[in-house]
Amino acid sequence: MSAHPRFSVLSASSLASLDHLSPAASSTRFSLPSAPSINTTLAAPKPGVRPNIYDRNINKTRTAEVSASAFAFLFSEVVQYTQKRVSGIADFERRLNTLGYRVGVRVLELMSWRNESSSKTPKREIHFLPELRSIHTQVWRAVFGKPADAIEKSMENPDEYMVIDNDPPITRSISVPRDMNQLSCSSFTAGVVEAVLDGLGFPARVTAHNTPTDAYPNRTTILIKLEKSVLEREEAFKT
Amino acid sequence: MSHHLFLLSPSDTPLYELTHYSSKPAQTTTSPLASNLPSWSTSAFAGTLTALSGASSVSQSYHVQGGGVRMGGGKDRHVIQMIANASLDVIEDVMRKDSLMYLKSVDKFNEWTISAFVTPGNMKFVLLHETRNDDGIRSFFLDVWELYVKTMLNPFHTAHTPIRSGVFDARVRASAKKHL
Repeated sequence: MSAHPRFSVLSASSLASLDHLSPAASSTRFSLPSAPSINTTLAAPKPGVRPNIYDRNINKTRTAEVSASAFAFLFSEVVQYTQKRVSGIADFERRLNTLGYRVGVRVLELMSWRNESSSKTPKREIHFLPELRSIHTQVWRAVFGKPADAIEKSMENPDEYMVIDNDPPITRSISVPRDMNQLSCSSFTAGVVEAVLDGLGFPARVTAHNTPTDAYPNRTTILIKLEKSVLEREEAFKT
Repeated sequence: MSHHLFLLSPSDTPLYELTHYSSKPAQTTTSPLASNLPSWSTSAFAGTLTALSGASSVSQSYHVQGGGVRMGGGKDRHVIQMIANASLDVIEDVMRKDSLMYLKSVDKFNEWTISAFVTPGNMKFVLLHETRNDDGIRSFFLDVWELYVKTMLNPFHTAHTPIRSGVFDARVRASAKKHL
């Protein structure tokens, strides 16, 4: 009777071929001390060698920067990919918005963690105006490296606010044909802002619009349209 | 003395659950209702009844027929989940007014106190515990928050993905052992 039932499956010739599976074969030395079996050659490398995200320090990449050209390359590919699959400008902006949303969720948590984790009583914003100000400075600084250029409150509608960027970095290398000039690829940034607002409990519709001026032809406005429930809540707070 | 941790997504789906038995000594509390139950109530329903009435020492329901009934006393899984769910309303109420992330104890149910921690992304961490331990629980929640931030940096993880990583589980358990 063979001492190791799995060993008997391997014939002498296949044992020799085992050596050709180079990385897997070396792992058998560290696994069972008995004869190499098929199971262990297919096993993952020994635990503790593979790096995992829980070991990384979040603050390590706090001031890291990504090269603008690398991101422009990636973003241009994103835009081209989306362009092939949409049926109109609204759909296009919505898809970019969704992509930005996924980024924004992570930006919010990471930014808050980096700012608040050292304190004994970490806080989150529950009023809208301080939150808008924090978006204008902290989110822009976390994502683009500098605060945004202006915040405005709309005169006509009480539920609309605007964050203005004179030269958004992500659209610097994108040229839009004149017949599509309502399109703004800053919908991506709008998605980021929408995710930040949503996470904190201020549901809103956020869109991006081109508002070029003479000095800044790329000037973009991120328009935030709050939902009614947020306005009611803010009113209740004031009383 | 046990602790139950639930991580809840913004849409209140549980992403992660943990039960932790602390080795620190706990002061025994006797619940006045426990003694009122007759000793013959050993059916499954009575087991829940015992749990709901907060009997933390179940000596009277111990003599069961052939061990068919699980020990009640607030340790039934479904009671725990019911308590956690009931506290969500209170948590949302407090969340709107209080700008702190760590809401201390928001609710109390018989011998269980419920503490909560709300992250800026509206994830709720709910902890059921029997004894007071504000500082330890705060450090524990901060640890879990850091682990959660690292988990959600994964681009394939959405706000509704259940967290199944073994490493996450091991880290949370280690942190629970350290702080609770």
